[in-house]
Amino acid sequence: MGSLLAIYAFDELWNLSNIVRYGLMSLQHRGAQNFVVCIPGERVKCLHSENIDEVSRGASKNVALAVIGNDSDNMLIEVDDSGVVAIASERSWDGASRALQALSNAFSNGGDPVTSFISTLNRVSDDVAPSMAVLTKRGELVIWRSPSSFSPLVLGSYGFDMAIVSSESVAIDILGGDVKRFLKPGEGIYIAKYIVKHFTAGVSEHRGLCTFELLYLARHDAIVDGVSVYEFRKHLGRELAKYLESDVDVVVGVPETALPYAIGFAEVIKKPFEMAFMATGGRRRSMLFSDPFEKIVSIHLKMNPIRGVLEGKRVALVDDSMVTGSTIKTVSQILRFRVGVPEVHLFIASPPLIMPCPFSVLRLDMKGLLAANLSQSLARDYLEVDSLHWLSKEDVDRVASRFGLKLCGKCFGVDFFGCRK
Amino acid sequence: MKVLLIGSGGREHALAKLIRRSVLEPRLFVAMDYRNPGLEKESVETGGKMFIVNTVSAKDVANVAEEVSPDLVVVGPEEPQFHGVTDVLRERGYIVFGASSRCAEVEKSKVFARSLMWKHDIYGRLYFKAFTSIEEARKFIEFAGDVVIKPARQAGGKGVKVLRDTQAYLSRDRAEVKKTYIEKLFSEMEGYRDIDYKIIVEQRVEGVEYTSMIITDGDTILPLPLVQDHPHAFEFDIGPETGGMGSIQGPGWILPFITREEFGKTVEVVSQVLKALQSEVREKYVGAFAGQMMLTGIWGPTVIEFYSRFGDPEMSNLVPIVASDFLEILDKAARRKLAGAKLDIDEDRVTIVKAIAPAGYPDNRRIAAGHPIHVDEGGVRELGCEVLYASVELLANGVMYTKGSRVFEIVCSSDNYDDAYERIEKAITYVKSLDGWPLFYRSDIGSRELLNDRIRAAERVRTIYGSRSRRGLLGKVLMWVPGEGVSDNPLIGFVR
Ligand SMILES: Nc1ncnc2c1ncn2[C@@H]1O[C@H](COP(=O)(O)OP(=O)(O)OP(=O)(O)O)[C@@H](O)[C@H]1O
Repeated sequence: MGSLLAIYAFDELWNLSNIVRYGLMSLQHRGAQNFVVCIPGERVKCLHSENIDEVSRGASKNVALAVIGNDSDNMLIEVDDSGVVAIASERSWDGASRALQALSNAFSNGGDPVTSFISTLNRVSDDVAPSMAVLTKRGELVIWRSPSSFSPLVLGSYGFDMAIVSSESVAIDILGGDVKRFLKPGEGIYIAKYIVKHFTAGVSEHRGLCTFELLYLARHDAIVDGVSVYEFRKHLGRELAKYLESDVDVVVGVPETALPYAIGFAEVIKKPFEMAFMATGGRRRSMLFSDPFEKIVSIHLKMNPIRGVLEGKRVALVDDSMVTGSTIKTVSQILRFRVGVPEVHLFIASPPLIMPCPFSVLRLDMKGLLAANLSQSLARDYLEVDSLHWLSKEDVDRVASRFGLKLCGKCFGVDFFGCRK
Repeated sequence: MKVLLIGSGGREHALAKLIRRSVLEPRLFVAMDYRNPGLEKESVETGGKMFIVNTVSAKDVANVAEEVSPDLVVVGPEEPQFHGVTDVLRERGYIVFGASSRCAEVEKSKVFARSLMWKHDIYGRLYFKAFTSIEEARKFIEFAGDVVIKPARQAGGKGVKVLRDTQAYLSRDRAEVKKTYIEKLFSEMEGYRDIDYKIIVEQRVEGVEYTSMIITDGDTILPLPLVQDHPHAFEFDIGPETGGMGSIQGPGWILPFITREEFGKTVEVVSQVLKALQSEVREKYVGAFAGQMMLTGIWGPTVIEFYSRFGDPEMSNLVPIVASDFLEILDKAARRKLAGAKLDIDEDRVTIVKAIAPAGYPDNRRIAAGHPIHVDEGGVRELGCEVLYASVELLANGVMYTKGSRVFEIVCSSDNYDDAYERIEKAITYVKSLDGWPLFYRSDIGSRELLNDRIRAAERVRTIYGSRSRRGLLGKVLMWVPGEGVSDNPLIGFVR
C-alpha cells in the first residue's frame, strides 16, 4: 500500500523541496521504505529513492506529487512514454497501464481534464481502481479517492497559497496548513492555476476503511474522515476494560500504538497507567515489515524496560491487535524475566484475526495468524500470560457506529464494522 | 426624485434594486465605466439613463451630474472616492452619499487605518510595520515571523499573502517567499503615486471573518446586519484571494457563528473608528462605512481592514431583506438628517449570494476577459432568486462579454439556509459560457457543512479570547528575548 501527498502552490515563487520533505517525514509511519516525487516540466519527471532528502530535493517547483510505498510496491508511480502524465496509485492494479495510456492521450488532446479523468475511469473499470493522483506536465493535479480504497484522502490549504492533498491529515498539520475536507469515497479534486474543480466519480459501493487504518496505521494525532484517531483508540480501550476479571495494579500499553488504548483502559478501571518501555532509534512500525527478521529487530529495539515501577506488580497489558503474537511474546518475556512481574493479563483492543486480507492491504499469512492456529489456552501458555481477552466483533461494530465509521472487517471474519451506509 | 448612481458592478446593481423600490419614485441615472446590462435595465425602466464614463475622473462625472442635475448622488465604489469624485460633486453643491477622499483614506491606506486605531487606543487592533523603501523592508523581512504581507494601499482584493510561520523547521522556506514577495510587491506598487507607504507587514491572526457595515451621516450610525464574505477563489476555502466569491447573511442581524455581544462589540469598534477618523480629518463622514472583521483568539472581534463604502458582494445580501425605504435612508444620510431613521429588515430570512467568475480571475484577468456569456434570468427568477450583473459588458452585437472579474452574483433568500442553498445551486446552472471558456463558483458557500465548520471554528476562538480576557491579556502578544527583555512585538520570527 502506498500513501499519497500532492502539493499545489498557486504562486510560482514557491520552491516545495523542503515542504515535500517534511510532508513525507510526517507520513513515514505509514510504512515508508521507498519514495517517489514527480514534478511537471517539458515532461513529467520522477525521482525514486529510499531516502527522503534525495527525492524531496528534486521538488524544486511549485507543484509536486509524491508517493510513499513499502519495499515491494515498485509500480506505484508510472509515467507514460511521452511524459505527459504521471499516475500515482495507492496500490498496484491491473488497469494501471491502460489508464495511463488513456489519460496520456486525453491530456495531450487538451480535453476537459475532469471529464477525461472520469471517462477513463469508467472505461478502465471503476470498481477496482484504487485511489489515484495524476500530475500532468503542465502542472495540473487530479486526485481521486476510490470507493474501493481502504484509506482516506484529505484536502487542506495553506493561506491563499497552497492546496495540499494527503493520505493522512497529519501532513497538512505538519506543513502549517488547515484541513479543509475529508474527501468522501468517490470524490475527487482537480487543481490547476486558474481553476479548482470538485467532482464525483465511480459508483461502486464504499468498501469501508481498513480497520487497521484506525487501529494501527494512522498517527494518534491524525483525524480520519472526521474522526479523531486518538479518541477512537481510547474508546476501544475503555470498552476493553469490561473484560477485566482479576485485580491488577498497573496498566501498560505496548508502545507506541497501544498507549491511548491503555490510557482509556486505565481510566475506567481507575488504576495507574504506567510507561513501561523506552525505544532506541526512531519510531519503527514493526507490523509493516515483511521480513520477519527485520520485524523482530524493530520489536526488540522498542522494548527496553523501565524497571522500578513495575517490579512485583500485577500488570494489565494492552495492545491494539495481535497478528503473530511475536510482539506480545517478547513483551511478556521482558516483563517476567527482566522486570519481574508476577501476573500479566493481556487485553487486545480488536477481535481475533482469523483470515488473510483478501485485498492484500495487509500481508497476513494464514499460517502465521496466532488466533487462527492456536487454541485460546495454548495461546495463553505460549505467550506466558495469565489471561487473554479480545474485544468482540460486536464491540468494534458498536464503537465504529458511534464514530460514524464504516470499516472493512474481512480479516476478522465480518464484512463490515459500523455504519452500513 | 432623480438619483445619480456612480459605479459599474454588482454592488451598484444591488443598490439600484434597493433604490428602485422607494416610494420616492426615483429615476435612476447611472454613471458607469462600461455598459453593464443590469444597471442599464434599471436605469431605463425607471425612466433614467446611463452614461459610460471614466468613473474615477471627477471632471467626467461632474459633467454627467450637470446634465442630470440629480437630487441625490450615490457613490458606490472606493476608487472614485479616492480620486476626489465625491469631493468635487459636493463642492458643486450636489447632495452626495459617499465618503469624501479624506474620509476614504481609511480604506485607501491600511497604514492610516491601523495607525488611527493605535493612536486612539481602539479595541481589535493589530500590530504592524509599514515601509516606504524597499531597503528598509528587506532588512525587516529577514527577521519577520508569523505575518501577513499586504500592499499598503487598497488594491482591489489582491496581493495579500498570509504566511503562517509557527514552525521553525519551515521558517527558512517561508522567509525565502517573503523576500521574493516583497520585491515583487514593491515593483507592483510603484504604479500607485497616491501613497507613501508601499507595503505593510502585520500580525497574522486566525478565526472567522465577517463584515459589519453601517450607514452614517457623521453623527448618527445605522448598523446593517452582519454578512460573511468568502475571499478564497475556490471551494473549501482554497486558492488565491479574490474580492469575494459569495456571502451569507442572517437570520436577523447576526450570523449563526457570531453572538449578539460580539455584534455589539463590533459596532462599538466601528463607531469608535468613525469618531476617531472624523476628528483626525476634521470632516463629517457621510456614506457607508464597514469593518472587515475577524473573530480571533487574540481579541475576539478584530479589525482586518475598513471599507469606505458598502461591501461587494456583501451588499447583495441586503436586496431581499431590507424592508425600509432604502433610498430614503441614503437620502437622509446624505442630507445629514439621519437622526431618528430606522432600518427594518426581514429578521426571519437568510440570504446566500454566489459570484460566478471566468477562469483566470483573480490572477490573470486578461485571459478571463472577453468571453461571451449568457444568463437565463427567467429561470433564476422562477426559483425566487435574483441575478445581479457585475463585471459584464453588453456589446453592440447584443451579446454579453466577461470583463475579467466576477460576472454575475446570484441572490437567493429563504427562511432557512438549506432551502436557500438548494435553490441557489439550481439557479447557478442558468449561467452559461457561450464559447466554452470555463466558469467557476463556490458550491460550498451557504452549505450546512461549511456553516457547521464556521460555528466550530468560532467556538474555538471564543474559548481562547474568553480566557485571555479574564486574564487581562486581550490584544497582547508578549515576546521575551533573554538579555533584551519582554516586548510586545509579535512580528519577529525564529530566523535570526
Ligand atoms: N492580519 C491578518 N491575519 C490573517 N489573515 C488576514 C490578515 N489580514 C488579511 N487577512 C486575510 O486576507 C484577506 C484580505 O485582506 P484585506 O481585506 O486586508 O485585503 P484587501 O486586498 O484589501 O481585500 P478586500 O478589499 O477584497 O477585502 C482577508 O479577508 C483575510 O482573509
